[in-house]
Amino acid sequence: MSAAPDLPLWAAILVSFFVVTGALVTLIGSIGLWRLPDFYARLHAPSLGATLGTGAMLVGSIICFSVLQQRPLIHEVLIGLFVTITTPVTLMLLASASLYRDRVEGNDAAPKEDPAPTEP
Amino acid sequence: MSHGTLLLVALLLPFIGSLAAGFLPTHARNTAAILAGSVAVAGIGISVWLYTSLADGAPVQFWLSWLPMLGLDFTLRLDGLAWLFALLIFGIGALVVLYARYYMSREDPVPRFFSFLLAFMGSMVGIVLSGNLIQLVFFWELTSLFSFLLIGYWHHTASARDGARMALTVTGTGGLCLLVGVLLIGRIVGSYDIDQVLESRDLIIQSDLYVPALVLILLGAFTKSAQFPFHFWLPHAMTAPTPVSAYLHSATMVKAGIFLLMRLWPVMSGTDAWFYLVVPAGLVTLLLGAFIAIFQQDLKGLLAYSTISHLGLITLLLGLGSPLAAVAAIFHTLNHAIFKASLFMAAGIIDHETGTRDLRKLSGLYRYMPITATLAMVAAAAMAGVPLVNGFISKEMFFAEAVAEHTGSLLDDSLPYWATLAGVFSVTYSLRFILGVFFGPPPVNLPHRPHEPAHWMRFPIELLVLICLLIGIVPSLTVGPLLATAVKGLLDATPPYYSLALWHGFNLPLMMSLIAMAGGVVLYLGLRRYLESGIEGPPILRDFKGQRIFEKVLATLSWQWARAGEATLGTRRLQPQMRIVITLAVVAALAPFIANGAVGTGDMPGTPLPPGFALLWLVGGICALGAAYQAKYHRFAALVLVGGAGLVTCVTFAWLSAPDLAVTQLLVEIVTTVLLLLGLRWLPKRIENVYPSRPPLKVLLRRYIDLTIACALGGLMAFLAYCLMTRPLTQSVSRFFVERAYSEGGGTNIINVILVDFRGFDTMGEIVVLCLAGLTVFALLRRFRPAPESIEQPEQQRIQHAYDVATPDRSPGDTVADYMLIPRLIMHWLFPVIAVMAVYLFMRGHDLPGGGFAAGITLSIAFVVQYMASGTRWVEDHLRVLPLRWMGMGLLTSCATGMGSWWFGYPFLTSHFQYVELPYIGKVPAASALVFDLGVFALVVGATVLILIALAHQSLRSSRAAQASEGGE
Repeated sequence: MSAAPDLPLWAAILVSFFVVTGALVTLIGSIGLWRLPDFYARLHAPSLGATLGTGAMLVGSIICFSVLQQRPLIHEVLIGLFVTITTPVTLMLLASASLYRDRVEGNDAAPKEDPAPTEP
Repeated sequence: MSHGTLLLVALLLPFIGSLAAGFLPTHARNTAAILAGSVAVAGIGISVWLYTSLADGAPVQFWLSWLPMLGLDFTLRLDGLAWLFALLIFGIGALVVLYARYYMSREDPVPRFFSFLLAFMGSMVGIVLSGNLIQLVFFWELTSLFSFLLIGYWHHTASARDGARMALTVTGTGGLCLLVGVLLIGRIVGSYDIDQVLESRDLIIQSDLYVPALVLILLGAFTKSAQFPFHFWLPHAMTAPTPVSAYLHSATMVKAGIFLLMRLWPVMSGTDAWFYLVVPAGLVTLLLGAFIAIFQQDLKGLLAYSTISHLGLITLLLGLGSPLAAVAAIFHTLNHAIFKASLFMAAGIIDHETGTRDLRKLSGLYRYMPITATLAMVAAAAMAGVPLVNGFISKEMFFAEAVAEHTGSLLDDSLPYWATLAGVFSVTYSLRFILGVFFGPPPVNLPHRPHEPAHWMRFPIELLVLICLLIGIVPSLTVGPLLATAVKGLLDATPPYYSLALWHGFNLPLMMSLIAMAGGVVLYLGLRRYLESGIEGPPILRDFKGQRIFEKVLATLSWQWARAGEATLGTRRLQPQMRIVITLAVVAALAPFIANGAVGTGDMPGTPLPPGFALLWLVGGICALGAAYQAKYHRFAALVLVGGAGLVTCVTFAWLSAPDLAVTQLLVEIVTTVLLLLGLRWLPKRIENVYPSRPPLKVLLRRYIDLTIACALGGLMAFLAYCLMTRPLTQSVSRFFVERAYSEGGGTNIINVILVDFRGFDTMGEIVVLCLAGLTVFALLRRFRPAPESIEQPEQQRIQHAYDVATPDRSPGDTVADYMLIPRLIMHWLFPVIAVMAVYLFMRGHDLPGGGFAAGITLSIAFVVQYMASGTRWVEDHLRVLPLRWMGMGLLTSCATGMGSWWFGYPFLTSHFQYVELPYIGKVPAASALVFDLGVFALVVGATVLILIALAHQSLRSSRAAQASEGGE
């Protein structure tokens, strides 16, 4: 696990750029989660990692393994796809749960009422 | 057909007949009787056919390999002794079937009766034909079971149920002792094969285990043959229909014990231990049975005690240990079966035609049923040992043996007197039977008007009595050859000289017979007044009832002790149970260290710790600690933290190159978390401020003790793991698996090959356990009653509901539907995706991480997601999930795959492997283990979904219950 893969220099630089970028973006997201003032603001921070962070790392991974095995390997696209589909759902569930609780508890930070549904 | 195969046919026919009779319509009386009768007659035919092949003395054998590794084969073995018993079983069986056809009422479910009777016959034949001891014990237990069913045939009467249960408990316990005894014999001899055991007399007698083995085997034989002090079950078994009594309790089942004693007689008898164990038991049984028989008021009770007494006589003869006594024992077994079966049948006729068996009510029946009376008189004369009937000759032999010198002890010297006394008793009760029932004034107040029975009902008695007379008058012409064959089977050395003549001149045995007869008449006349007073049971012994002791013992064991055990050891609360279990685990784990001295850590060099890994474990540790800290009051938070720790474990597995474990761990983690989340709703809410100020000292103490126990266990586990991992791995089987996984299992995923191939049988057991666990959760939750405070809907649902009701343009359920709109859509879409993932994991399982278990869990996650997204009702409207069928199909598939290898002549669960050419896809590895894995997959899906559904339905059920209770108010 700890041994570095046997990559040509150009590929190693490319891969490490993407991986480090992804990791940094995710780290920023995590710091945001910690530092931001309230729940609704915090909700945005980790999605940084789930989108850009994951994406960058996946690109790195694609390049790394495609070069290593001398053929295009794009399994990671699937990971990206599913993360893209499922992350918003998680966030929506979290947000609506929080919204609900704030309303019930009469918290001022939350909007009072759903906007009236627009008639088609 | 070879002779050996004929034996197999003779053994299997009754069982096949039993099965067939069981499927007959309830009132097919004649068909069932004809079926049973033809089985018995076929058995007689086979026995007679095989008689000629026994002439040269070698037993007929049938051999089938069964468990060769354990030295166990299915062997049938027919020697002279077994032949005589087999003839007896089939012969009396045929007559009993004929008799039962007329005896059983039209209203009774007669096919059931014949089904049990045939199965019993088969088990009995199994005992006598068994060629190895384990097999003998197996059939022995079968006779106990089927006699239980037969005694309890009229299960609507309490006494029949009690009698059946008592017989089963006593003989079953004896059977257990016998099994242990037989295992000891097997240990001494090194084989269970009867031929080998019979050759190892010196080995057995000189062994240290001889006495324990003897005692255990005798316990088995004595309980079965109703020897004192286990005789009490036999009279209670008289609640069985009379044909059963005639068959089981005179001719066959109680003779199984005798047969066993005879079978092992050549190798176990002749020692002091044998003499002093068997002779006193036989003697006490002989005298006690005869004495009690005199005072019975129930006709069948009298015969039952007389049977006990005669069994005692046979046991006594076997106990003496001389070959001549053994000959007498065989002869008397035969005679007793013949006359006692006919007497029981006569008693049944009297019961059938008069409606009572009470000797106080019966009298003077001779004028109503002269033929039956005459027949019964002859049979009773045989029982009393009157000359010209068969009982006389064997009784003379018994007297002669009682007089003969054996050990020269006091017991041996006093035997003639005891024997004569027993003879006196037997004459007395025979007289009582005949004079009480058939003579005297005409009966008054009988339930029916007595008359002769149907001719065919009387026919078995006529035949048996004829045999009694033939044996009694011309013994050497009739029974002589049969007896000689049986004796040759028992004593394979040259049989002793014996003479079956009626007249041996004026000698001591004849004098004893004459004294017994005269004494019997005198005793009867003397006791007449006492007996006519109508008092039940013998003097002195009346208050001493085996049944009461038995019931007391049972009550003590199964009720008082069980309750006391539950009261002291059991608890209905989870926490004390956990405390006990964990403390015991800690103690058990520490015990070897204390016993063998402390063991330090090993000396393997540590692996370098990469910083990433350290960080990972730091996070995991914090999660675990946090979960423990939050577990008491914030279960939800604790659950989230446990999930975090689980994910860290999962990544660790991947890091340490165990992708299979990582995949499984991840999937299990997901399902566990979801199921626990679903269960959270039913746990009681936290009660804030139970203790307003400080918790009392007792509570604090308890908490700290719990903390200590938990830390001790956790620390110990960690320490043990550390000790193990710092030592080099010793010789282990894993090398074997790594080398053979591809060459023999055809898969590169070693774990999967181990699971489905090398250790397939373990996996089989594990999926059965999983199946049981699923069913148990389901069964427990079906009867689950939530705590009162968690019955009503959760607060959130109530508020939503109120809001929906209050707002004019909304209907109940709209709010939650709005909230879940997009997530639900995505979750629906994900169903096929996850299902495809499951198929993918399954297909690649044999070569890459994945497999049936992982795939099953994945598919169940797909279901879980649907339940979460749309609720129970919607899912079950749109998706037919039949978890029980999944489980059943899974189990069947796995079993069938395993058994499939039998077809090709390989052991259970041998897998086959080859590549298959598929269109478009190309060469695909295909192993029969894949089908096995498919079974695992289906079962895992079924069990997991079953648990999920059981939990999900709680919400539906309890909300219904809440509505119902609201409606009721």
